[in-house]
Amino acid sequence: MPNDLAVDHRPDDLPPDMTSISGVDPQEWYAERGYTDGLPIAPPTPETVAAVVTALGGDPDFQEGRVPPRWGVLSRRTLAINIVMAGCRPEYAPVVRAALKAMMEPHFNLNAIQATTHVVAPLTIVNGPIRNAIGMNAGHGAFGPGNRANATIGRAIRLVMLNVGGAQPGVLDKSTQGTPAKYTYCVAENEEESPWAPYHVEHGYRETASTVFVIGAESNHNINSPLPNDPEGILNDVISTMTTVGHNNARASGHCTVVLSPEHARSIAAHGWTRHDVRCYLQMYATNKFGVLAHDHKYGKVYNRHLPRWYRRQLDSDIPIVPSPDNIHLFVVGGTAGRFSSFIPGWGHYNNPVLRAIDGELPTGHGPICVDGTCYL
Amino acid sequence: MNFATPIYGYDPRGSVVADRLSLAPRVASLDGLRIGVLDNAKMKARKLLDGTTDILRRDHDLAAVNYYLKEGFSYVATPEMIAEIAANNDVVITAIGD
Repeated sequence: MPNDLAVDHRPDDLPPDMTSISGVDPQEWYAERGYTDGLPIAPPTPETVAAVVTALGGDPDFQEGRVPPRWGVLSRRTLAINIVMAGCRPEYAPVVRAALKAMMEPHFNLNAIQATTHVVAPLTIVNGPIRNAIGMNAGHGAFGPGNRANATIGRAIRLVMLNVGGAQPGVLDKSTQGTPAKYTYCVAENEEESPWAPYHVEHGYRETASTVFVIGAESNHNINSPLPNDPEGILNDVISTMTTVGHNNARASGHCTVVLSPEHARSIAAHGWTRHDVRCYLQMYATNKFGVLAHDHKYGKVYNRHLPRWYRRQLDSDIPIVPSPDNIHLFVVGGTAGRFSSFIPGWGHYNNPVLRAIDGELPTGHGPICVDGTCYL
Repeated sequence: MNFATPIYGYDPRGSVVADRLSLAPRVASLDGLRIGVLDNAKMKARKLLDGTTDILRRDHDLAAVNYYLKEGFSYVATPEMIAEIAANNDVVITAIGD
């Protein structure tokens, strides 16, 4: 039974997480208790909560996990309350749950992501048929406002982190500056406009599967590359953006996300380059000199514990942004006009991204995985 | 806006199930005790901890100073490391050292 509920007018016949607030403005009631992200919420009702619980498979007391750092129990009922508050339609609920279950995998390290001084926020990218079934935006302005599914799925995730995870800014969330990505951060891959196999197929899932990819991420950083029409030219501009030294990948390695616009992706693919080629090129040439990261030892001798042990640390050593092409997660997102792509720094080696099927199914597991003509055994 | 119809407020936080733990008893003196030093892997943690243990060695008759390094500052210490620290030390010091 919940042990820290605000109970003020609760008749005995109500569940312990419900209170009669007739005559009270619900927006004020939720805001006063710190149950929101600062924006007005959609007040839950018995009917809307029940509809989402049904969409999650019923059994409202079923525990989907615990959310750090408060380690609140995420029952389906509690999840449904937050999903309704975020403004989701019931059919979005399985996507929200899949993303949260991926984030609750221990190697995702959500506990530290919630509490760190860094600006990191979990980014969710959806693949597969469910994108279109629930009307997600993978095209123009996909990272921005205007699409209910994108906006409210990301918001529901954040409300769970705030309410169940207890990540209130300045309390358990110690992010120095925070980021708008902490309101909502969810998009879909534009599979229809991509010249390549979708991300989840590259990683062994069938095309008919629907998946969520989650990663600890900064906001997306623009890559304005209007002139080049060949892989090297476009990707050199991507590399220029990747090799700024202020983000965590530069100083602490780990994983990152590169999101190409459809125009950029098609220009690259027209030269026969595969996803694998792109990731290998970026990993090989996106480097900084160790001396730049160490400020040439101006402030004292620097070893940098956050980089892999096997890196050379002479001042002229090339330090990759990430240690492997597999640590670059490549997606195609955006509208059909515009040569604007994004680099999305990760959080360093403290976070491992997770790919998970929305229905919990495992990848195909049948023989080699073949993507764009290359098979991995 | 009419708020007269029956409406309900929902607590969205869920429950917390946890055992309440008490702090270990304070020691009266460090003399003769084994000091565990847990470096959380921040850039300057070692420098801060080395300075601290130098002072403790100077002012107390320590039985031992045992040094431990986490894999990363944003990782929890492994259960094996925690068990080893608990088994082989009487007092533990940690520091961030950013």
